[in-house]
Amino acid sequence: MNYLRISTLLKFDLRESFNSALWIGYSWIYFAFQLFVYGSIISRLIVTVNNYFYFYGTGLIVLSTFNIASWSGRRFVESAHEGRLRYMLSLPIGRREFFVEQLLHGVTVNLVRTFPPVAIVLYLSKLFSVSSFLSTLLVLTLVAIGVMGLMISLSVIAFKSFDIYSAIVAALSALLIRFSTINYPISSMNSIYAGASLSNPLTYGADLLRRAIGLDSSLLVNQDAALSMLLALSVGTLFLGIFFISRFVEGVKSS
Amino acid sequence: MDFAVETYDLTKSYGDFNALDKLNIKIELGQIRVLLGPNGSGKTTFLHLISTVLRPTKGTARVLGFDIVKQQLEVRKHVSIAFQDPRGFWRHKPKHILSFHASMYGIKDPERSSIVERTLKEFDLWESRDKKFMDLSGGQAKRLEVAKLFVHIPKLTLLDEPTAMVDLDGKRLMWDKIKELKEKGCTVIVATNEVREAEYLADKITIFSSGKDIVTDTLPNLKDSVKGGDVVDMRFSDPISPITLQTLKRLPGTVGIIEVDENRLRIPVTRSEDWLPLAVSSIHGNRLASVHITEPSLDDIFMTIVKPKAETK
Repeated sequence: MNYLRISTLLKFDLRESFNSALWIGYSWIYFAFQLFVYGSIISRLIVTVNNYFYFYGTGLIVLSTFNIASWSGRRFVESAHEGRLRYMLSLPIGRREFFVEQLLHGVTVNLVRTFPPVAIVLYLSKLFSVSSFLSTLLVLTLVAIGVMGLMISLSVIAFKSFDIYSAIVAALSALLIRFSTINYPISSMNSIYAGASLSNPLTYGADLLRRAIGLDSSLLVNQDAALSMLLALSVGTLFLGIFFISRFVEGVKSS
Repeated sequence: MDFAVETYDLTKSYGDFNALDKLNIKIELGQIRVLLGPNGSGKTTFLHLISTVLRPTKGTARVLGFDIVKQQLEVRKHVSIAFQDPRGFWRHKPKHILSFHASMYGIKDPERSSIVERTLKEFDLWESRDKKFMDLSGGQAKRLEVAKLFVHIPKLTLLDEPTAMVDLDGKRLMWDKIKELKEKGCTVIVATNEVREAEYLADKITIFSSGKDIVTDTLPNLKDSVKGGDVVDMRFSDPISPITLQTLKRLPGTVGIIEVDENRLRIPVTRSEDWLPLAVSSIHGNRLASVHITEPSLDDIFMTIVKPKAETK
């Protein structure tokens, strides 16, 4: 691994991603609006879960991470179709290093964009501590790597057909979000929904984040299982992505 | 090592379509080789393959002695490519793009900053250094794309239609800069469909058609290979006699004779440099007033030599 070249490329990519402060500010405002308006109203309606406001808030952070990671995967696809990818592929950097840089870029963007939401939720829930904060960021990083690795791996489909890729990602996103504990605890689901949610990595990401923050553990899945699942997801999609990128990315035709 | 590029049955297919079809080509070190051909003839695919942006479907190539499949990273360390349509940098500024490019090739500050400044000035981009890429004109974006190659001097430089969208002044600037690369010891491969560009730059020209290389030679040899490609206009002081006409018709190299008027002839010939001395010494009955020779253009070469070959392959 040539870390110097990875960091140079990462710096270049981050410069562009953070060039528009407006979008980052917008994502924070969107989070605050969603939490304080929708979250506070819906938490009054839901009385079966104690402190649903914080349950919802942590779910919203995981949802944001999922969206940002999906965006990173989509950005990779767009860079191929715009012709930027072929320039990157012509530079003196290995394909594996290039993939790792893409992941690091996505993780960094995710951390910057979720940093204030995490701090707000921790502060409001009065559960803020250094360890809870660091654990939270660690969980979000694992979720981001897992989702990004999956999305970049799926980009192989986009190299054949962007329409099919878009349809698959939209369907997958809808299913992963609905059949998970992002918005509701596993105890509130019937057996079919619960079964589907227990095979969904987002469930483990959301519940592990809630444990890291210190919310009611009776509502959450097993902590060890969650950590194992997230690690497996991150490592698995990491290798899957490297495999696909090194095998298929050089056949890409830009539009 | 005598060759910068050697290909062995290099093939790139998309389904049933062969963008490049069993190409076997050698490009000498230190030369400017121009690849000429119509759109879709395989020029860009060839550049993408030897820069390892694409992977061949079959066959391989050695670039500066390195295999493009097995030693990709080594190839990329020594080869740099300016793409046909630079896109995708949207919010980056020219100075950042060049600085990044230099960093990737291991050039460190403060040398990097001075190289970037010098290159921006040389390519008339200094005033636009802080503009966003998306706000540059097409010509500026193209100049920036080529300028990247000058922040580090690669051993092999590939340029895909380097002056498309560039105005006349800009074209001349780019051509002179490309020649400068050669003077610095770099091998240069230029893909273009602009004949004037090929004439100005090429040590040798390879003409592509339908994913194959049809012919490779120097420009004078290519011109000479066109039968009747040179057109000699002869004007005489007096009316042309039947003996002069017969003499010129019988000369080796004469392809035909067109009598423009009683004092003027238009004669398509092969290799006018050999034909003309013979003609002048053979004419006895008439006095020659003036001679004008028109050489075939690369367009003529393409139409007369390449097209029939491509159709029969």
